[in-house]
Formats: sequence, structure tokens, C-alpha cells
Amino acid sequence: MDTGLQRILRWFQRVTKQRRCFVTCLMLAGCSGTGEYPSKPILIVCPWAQNGGTDRVARRMAALLEEDLGVNVNVLNATGGEGVSGHSQGANAKPDGYTLTLMTVEINMLRWRGRTKLSHRDFTPALLVNRDPAAIFVREDAPWMTLKELEDAVRRAPETLRASGTAMGGIWHLALAGWLVSAGLKPSDITWVASQGSTPALRDLLAKGSDLVSCSLPEAKTLMLAKEIRCLGVMAPERQALFPDVPTFAEQGSSWTMGAWRGVGLPRGVPQRVLDVLVPALARAARSEPFLEYMKTEGFGPACELPADFERSLEATDDRMRGLLTSDAFASLSKNRFSPMLFPSILGGLLAAVVGALLATRGLRLEPGGGTATPLGWVRFGEGLLFIAAYALFSGVAGFILTAGPLLFLALWRLGTRPRFAAPIAAGAALLAYVVFGRLLRVPLPRGWIEW
Amino acid sequence: MGEALLEAARQLLLDPRILWIIFLAAVYGIFIGSIPGLTATMAVALIVPLTYYLSPLEALAAVVTLEACAIFAGDIPAALIRMPGTPSSAAYADDLYLLSQRHGPGYPMGVSVVFSVAGGLVGAVALAFLAQPLARVAVKFTYPEYFWFYLVGLGCAVVVSRGSPLRGALALLLGLLFSTVGMSAVHSQPRFTFDREELLQGINFIPAMIGLFGFSEVLRNLAAFGAPKGEPVAAGSGKAEPAGFWRRWVAGPWMSVYGNTLPLLWLRKGKAALASGIGAVIGVLPGAGADIAAWVSYGVSKKLSKKPDEYGKGSLEGVIDSGAANNAALGGAWVPTMVFGIPGDSITAIVIGILMMKGVRPGPRIFEEQAPLVYGLYLVFVIANLLLIPLGFLAIKAGSRLVRVPRRILLPIIMLSCIIGSFAINGSTFDVWVMLGFGLLGFVLERFQVPLGPVVLGIVLGGPLEEAYIQTLTASRGSFGAFFERGGSIVLAGGAILLWLSPLFRFIRRRPASPAGGGGA
Repeated sequence: MDTGLQRILRWFQRVTKQRRCFVTCLMLAGCSGTGEYPSKPILIVCPWAQNGGTDRVARRMAALLEEDLGVNVNVLNATGGEGVSGHSQGANAKPDGYTLTLMTVEINMLRWRGRTKLSHRDFTPALLVNRDPAAIFVREDAPWMTLKELEDAVRRAPETLRASGTAMGGIWHLALAGWLVSAGLKPSDITWVASQGSTPALRDLLAKGSDLVSCSLPEAKTLMLAKEIRCLGVMAPERQALFPDVPTFAEQGSSWTMGAWRGVGLPRGVPQRVLDVLVPALARAARSEPFLEYMKTEGFGPACELPADFERSLEATDDRMRGLLTSDAFASLSKNRFSPMLFPSILGGLLAAVVGALLATRGLRLEPGGGTATPLGWVRFGEGLLFIAAYALFSGVAGFILTAGPLLFLALWRLGTRPRFAAPIAAGAALLAYVVFGRLLRVPLPRGWIEW
Repeated sequence: MGEALLEAARQLLLDPRILWIIFLAAVYGIFIGSIPGLTATMAVALIVPLTYYLSPLEALAAVVTLEACAIFAGDIPAALIRMPGTPSSAAYADDLYLLSQRHGPGYPMGVSVVFSVAGGLVGAVALAFLAQPLARVAVKFTYPEYFWFYLVGLGCAVVVSRGSPLRGALALLLGLLFSTVGMSAVHSQPRFTFDREELLQGINFIPAMIGLFGFSEVLRNLAAFGAPKGEPVAAGSGKAEPAGFWRRWVAGPWMSVYGNTLPLLWLRKGKAALASGIGAVIGVLPGAGADIAAWVSYGVSKKLSKKPDEYGKGSLEGVIDSGAANNAALGGAWVPTMVFGIPGDSITAIVIGILMMKGVRPGPRIFEEQAPLVYGLYLVFVIANLLLIPLGFLAIKAGSRLVRVPRRILLPIIMLSCIIGSFAINGSTFDVWVMLGFGLLGFVLERFQVPLGPVVLGIVLGGPLEEAYIQTLTASRGSFGAFFERGGSIVLAGGAILLWLSPLFRFIRRRPASPAGGGGA
């Protein structure tokens, strides 16, 4: 039991040691870019939310890299836009090796669906760490025992079954639709109910809201082991080592395969000397006992493809996705029959009605005692807005301390603190905030010239 | 069962290490929760790497303590500077703030602690004794039921809003419209993004909340700068009694915070239990968490209250009921997590990851296979909540000292914390701009006496509401009958429709009695 405690102590020691390193760095002011890699905290951008599989892989990877490289490795969840936000943040970061992205299969898809101009070519591939094939799940009480039976059921009565698993046109939807096409059916023969990821989809499957779910094996693992759902087949050529009882599509006469992958990438233009350190470290982590053990308990398919192989498989997947997503059969895939403007229009109509009613009843009036603003106050008000705007504009360039410190000083001074008091308060508060949030709690802060 | 319980108690209480972990997690949770913008979910995600070094029970203990403390701590900045620290405190932020202005922060905050603890304990009881039946009901919810349920939650926010429900509806609709910006999950099509990539991620409710409540408050203070204004009431209002060390430094402050809370607990036991029950049940539903629990419970509380006029203007009852409900929801969220491995909220979703990593598989069999762990979880809930009483006291005292710092120094620091919180969510400066925009919006809305809470709730629930709406229609191929097909959805639909029509009934009923009161109340 003591080893765990010792590890925590070591973790704290490392944090404090780095703080000392950071003070010397501050004195050198501008040590970034020179010297040994890595000498500063590394950031892994995860394009998906804090509770998903990608996040879990990113955080496990981060912990192992941290032990290996001896610097803090933090995870930032830049979510939204079905992965566009995170991937573009990662691709547009400074190519100094301190921003990594845990890329996902969506980078091969988004471009062909017209969501972004970003592609895998905007990244330097470093290491592919995981591959998970898609699979089809039904409730334990469902009548179909094999893929063939499901296929026949769809053929007999098209458009009666409902499936779910991810957003319209997302990877698991593509997997299901692709199988339908490969079996000579139409993608629309099974109605796709879009959901935010597989968790709500599985929940709805249990509640009998839908008939089948298409997602990866690890996502459905707990419900499968609890005997609530069963898997009709996995879209891979061979059975998965971690799920030996799950039959493949190939065994059941379908050659269709589809799956997701996760891999670490860096922005284009990363110097070779950085890759020489980073890639072996990543590979060591991906092959390490704790990582493999972790992947096993989670049910993720472990993989370890070095840059050359990773690049090749990226190209291959991208070609395949272009073929699929730009074909006629898939053109309507990401279109919902209900217009995206339906809900906003209803809201807009209601809003107009409410505003009308408010105006008619003269319900919208200024607060009676709200006129306490003074002319000087309005000046301060404008300066408050400028404070935030200046921070938003400069923090991405100058970094946290160099933006927050001077701005705090200005704000304190304008509100009537004498400069000789304002200066130490501003410097102290900015440094303290940096140490507490950036270092101890590892909350993301803007990085810039001197990296914080 | 007895054996497993004893084993759990032995593991928990006789091991100084786990008690240390609980203590540190509590301090950390209070700290994170009391900073607006740093949420309980984020706090849990940040300690995930540490859990690699912990045993399963230790990891669970850390998470449970952390979330209980963070959700309570969201009340601290709400009371002191009218900025809710977490979205689940937004429902009653105004009440708590006005009460603190009137009585000093000690007493209202003490009440908030005591009822948070009571709510948390009710949640733990629900988890311990009703897990299996509750979870069975919760997983029967399909999209139409969720649709109506979200409408109930939103309706509560409108019905309770101070003054005219129309202004509440205006605020809510604004929030719902903001939620449609960006890529919609059900359509996978960008909306209102004006071809800008940053807008694809949409408007996150955390920066919006910081802007609406936090930054707009800063702006109000700045606009009134230089105007003669009374400083806020100091904590305990400085009754300088000549007394001994014990009374002056320990018993006195303690009594000023917790002195009258026990009789109050007894007086309100029934309603607080109802509120906690509501909170726990809402927590059990996957996809509905402490935020909605606080609003619904606030609405119910106002409906049942003898003094509904006080709500929004400093109602202790509102603080009590929704404060209890949001803590009770935490225990509820663990129910589907443990029984089915389906997370009840965003925190338990992370918990599933931690459990799986430890080789503990959530599912119906966890109650037999891992009995000591499950009982340990119940005990941790109790310990964590009881620990809130002393730690909450210290946090209240520290917080009330902090607000006595002169405004000219406090305001810039609050602005900095607004920025740090907004940036931290996605690591993007776009969210800082969002915060700025919503600060201005909040300032303007306040001027027109439009409540801000419903805007936040609208942004939070807009996405899920639209999803449930479109999903129901897709699944039924466009037939509206699907909204009323199942027993559960009919009941919820009835509730939602009645709730939404209730202001109208009141309006019609009052019309003939007092024709002059048209625009008022």
C-alpha cells in the first residue's frame, strides 16, 4: 500500500521540481525553442469530451509519457463540431513538439463531408495507438441471432428498424450504412436516429426506443457482459483478441469492414530532433505493460503503428472514405429529413410572440432603481470591456503571465490603487494564478512567447 | 451483507491513508467549486491521472468527496458576489446573495451547508436502498419521455422567475436560441456559424454562465463606480463582544454560522426531504443532473410555499430546497452507473472509466461480486457529506474575509478569474469572447429586469431538448403521435403542459379581480 503513496509523493515532487525549473526559465526569459526537448509541459489535445474513450486513452497515454519524459503532460478537451475544433486547434498549434493531438478517424471523414478544409495532411503522424472495429448490437431478447437474419428482416420490411450509435453521418452510421450497401440494400433501409455518441444510443436500445446500435465493442462492453445486449458481429476480417466469442462479419459471409482508429499527431513542420525523442517515447508507452493492461481492461484494441505505417494507413483510410462519402448512395447520409432550421424556427416564432406580448403589456421596463451609473462609471465600464478584449487578443501571442500581469496592473491602477501597490499585487496574482492553475491543478492557460 | 458492510467500514475507517485522501479531495473540491467556471466535472477529470495510483475504493472516495464538496462550494461565490460557482447553484444565486446582504453571509451559508449535507445523505440513502428499482425505471425512459421531462425542467425555470413569467420565457427562449449555434448533433449540420470554424463548437454554457452572472456583475459595479454606495454587510456584522478566546474565535463564529440551523432543519424536515427526493430521482435519470434538479425543486418549493413572493428576492426556503436537491442528485446519478454502467451525469461517466481501469465492472452483479466496494461507496457518501460541515464553515469564513478586500482590488481579480474559467473549458480564446458578449447581454437584461438563470438553463438544455424532439420524430417517421404513445410520456406530457399553462390560468383568473394589475407582478 505504501508504493502508491510513494508514487503520489513522487508526483508532487516532480511538480515542485518543475516549478524550480520554471523560475530559472523565467529568469532566462525566452528559453523556449532552444535546449533539450522536452523542457516544458506538453499538451495533448483531445477533440472529444471528458468522459469518452478518446479522453481515457489520452489521459492514460499522458500519464505514461510523463513518467518517461519527466515533464508534465496535460490533456485539454477541445470539443465541438464533431471533432473539428480539437483537430484544428492541434493542427494550428506551434510546431515545437509541445502540442500533441490524439487524432481520431473523423479527420478522414470531415473533409469529405464538407465540414472543414482540414485533413490528415495537416498533421505529422507520430504513432497510431488503437484500432476498434465497428460492431452491431441488439437487445438480448431480439429475434435475430445472426447477421443474415437481420439482413433478411431488413429486406422483408425496409425502413421499419431503427438504429442509433452516433451523429448523422458519423463513423458508426457510415459503418452500418456501408454494410447495407454491400449487402445490396439502401442506406436508408434502416432508419438512423442520431445521438450524441454511443452512451445515449445504448440507453435508448435498452429502453426499446430503437432496435439496434452500431458502435465499437469497448463502448458496449459493460452491457454485453451484463447480458442486456448481444453482438451480432464485428466488422473486421478476424475475431478480436479481447472478444474471442464475438463472430466477425467475414465469418457470416460479408466482406464489409469498418472501424475507428486513434493516433498521436503533431502539427506539420515539427523538427526531426523532436520526433527522434517523442516517437520512441510514445512507442515505449504504447508497448508498456500498464498501457496494454489498461487497453485490455477497457476493451480497446491495442495497436502500435510507427510514423511510416501510420502515414500509409492514413492515406488508405482517407482514399476509402473519399470513395464512400462522395458516392451517390451516401450523398444523403448526413441529411436528416427534418430541416436543421425546424427547431430554431419554432423558437424564433415563440420569441417573437413573447416579445410582442411583453411590448403589448409594457412588461419590459428599465429597472426602477437601476440608474446608479455615473459618467465616470461608464468610462470604467468601457475599460472593463477593453480588459477582456485585450486579454482575448494578446494572450494567445504573449502567454498567460505576460498578458494577465500588465492588464491586472492597469485595471488596479485605473480603479484607484496606487501604482506602487498595484504592481506587486498584479505580479503576485498573475504568478500565483499560474502556479496554482497551470502547474498544480493543470487547468489549461494560454501559452505564448515564454510558454505560459 | 453485514459482513461486507463491516469489511467496508474496516477498510475505510481504520486506514489513515484513505481518510487523508478524503480530506484532501474535500479541500480540493471546495476550492475548485468556489471558483466560477471550474466545474465539478473538470475537477474530477483533473484527478484521473492520480487515480492510477489509488485502489478502487480510494479512487471512488476521492471522486465522491470531490463532487459533493464542489457542488456545495458553488454556493459560496453565489452568496458573496452573486456569481454561482457551478451551474447547479444558478437557480437560487439571487436568493442566496440577497440573504447574505441582509444578514451577513454566515447564517444563509450555514443553512446552505446543513441542507446540502441533508440532501447529500438522502441521495446516499436512495443509492443504498433503492438502486435496483430506481435504475429499472430510469432505463425505461426513451426520447419522448426525455423531451417532456426537459420541458418540465424548463417550465419550472419560467414559472419561478421573479416578476412576470413572460420575462422568464424571454430569457429562456434567448438561451434556447443560443444553444442552436454551431454543429447540431442530430443534423450534423452547422447552423448560425457564418462560415467561421470557431463557431462550430457552439456556445458553451460555462463561459456564458460566467459572463451572465460574473462579468455582468463586475460591469454593474464598474458602471456605478464613484457613486456613493454602502459597502456590503460585513460577516457577523462585527459585534465586538468582550469574551474569552474560546467564545471569540471558536464558539462564537461557529454559532453565527450553524446556530439556528438545527431547529430549522427540524421545522423544514418534510419539505427538505421532498426536495431531496426530487433531486435524487432526477439524478437517477441518465442525462439529467444536479442543474435540473435544483431548478425543478426550486419550482416545486415555490408552488408549495406560503410565501411565494419572496422567491428570487431572498427566500431562505428556495435556498434550502434547491440546495438540498442538487446535492441529492449526486447520489442519484450513481444509481444507473452502478446498476447498468450507464452514467447518470458527466461525473459518473468519468467514474465508469476509472472503475473499468481498476478492473471493476459496473453492472447488476457488482452488488454481489464487489459488495465491500459498494458498501464502501455508501459510507464514503456519508463521510464526505459530514466532512462538509467543518470544512464548509472554514470556507465560509475564509470567503467572507475575501470579499472585505476593497472593491478596487477585488474587481480586477474577479475579472481575471472569469477569464481563466472561460478559457479552461476548451482552451480557446473564442470562449473568452463569448464570456465578454454574455457579460454585456447580462448587464442589459438585468436593466430590463429579465432574470438570467433561465438563459443558462436554456443553453444547457437546448441541445438535449432538440435532440429528443428530432429523435422522436425520426424514430416515428414524422408522426407527432409518438410524443403521447407510452404511459410514461403521457404522464410527463400532462405535467409539462399543465406547468406551462399555469401562468396563463393565473393571469386569466386574476384579470377580472384586479384589472389594473395587468402589467405588474
